[in-house]
Amino acid sequence: MSGLDRRLARAAMWLGVVGVFAASFALASGPWKPADIKGLPVVVTIVLGLVAIVGARLTMRVVVLVSAVGYLAAALLQLAQFGRSTNWLGGSGSTFALFLGLGVGLLAVALAPTLDPDKETQ
Amino acid sequence: MASTMTKDAGGDVEPLPNRRMDRALIAALRIGVAVLWIQNTGWKRPPDFGEDSGRGLYMWTKFAVDREVFAPYAWFVEHVVLPNFTLFGWLTLIVEASLGAFLLVGLATRLWAAVGVAQSLAIMLSVLKAPHEWHWSYFLMILAHLVIFATAAGRTAGLDGVLRPRWRQSKSKAARLLMRAS
Repeated sequence: MSGLDRRLARAAMWLGVVGVFAASFALASGPWKPADIKGLPVVVTIVLGLVAIVGARLTMRVVVLVSAVGYLAAALLQLAQFGRSTNWLGGSGSTFALFLGLGVGLLAVALAPTLDPDKETQ
Repeated sequence: MASTMTKDAGGDVEPLPNRRMDRALIAALRIGVAVLWIQNTGWKRPPDFGEDSGRGLYMWTKFAVDREVFAPYAWFVEHVVLPNFTLFGWLTLIVEASLGAFLLVGLATRLWAAVGVAQSLAIMLSVLKAPHEWHWSYFLMILAHLVIFATAAGRTAGLDGVLRPRWRQSKSKAARLLMRAS
């Protein structure tokens, strides 16, 4: 598995930054709260966002893939437990949507083929 | 120096600008619409989606019948959607969460913009005549998705812009589909 090229690494970096930034939603309320992030999801999104950033800095696909799988696992857990008495993440559909986006995005980056510059100029 | 005018069947036309600020505004529209969907998945609560209490998603969906906007749609909601409401609730939650997710990162953006038009239309046909609703909310939702579709907004600060050159080089069927969806 080859490393991430510059553009893929930058995309992974931005997705990781968005993940870390999403922790700030815990401080928002009402219409200014894009997603239900409070308690455990704050830790989850900071840790997984930092993993994506580290993967981007090291241009290591496998590290970005770990972050993607982590976000997707958290999204599926939230989907399964949302609205039930057992809700480990304590979130809602908005938590699911946010984690799904970050997970799918990072997965697409981690699995993207490296650009062949010779083919691109043809 | 390249001409700023391009020629098409209609004669000389001024091309759209490709300035940094314009691209940023297109990205802001896409991300703003994504947040709209993400935020609004929060109140669609499984497992009954308000069916037992007559509130939440069930109440808003039932407006399609109680305050009919378009007769065939009202019939469909009354005879197909409401009797199978749990399934419909899950479908709504997953489609709207996916709209938020994919528009947020700008992946397969044109496909999801088209889905957003369809979903906004379905919402409009349910609640247009509900009390205290502003009809332009739904017209603007549809128009915003049409702009995202027309500008292929995922190619600006989105993953479509990063991945399309790679999909173009690939011979796989998935890559060809993603090229069309982005």
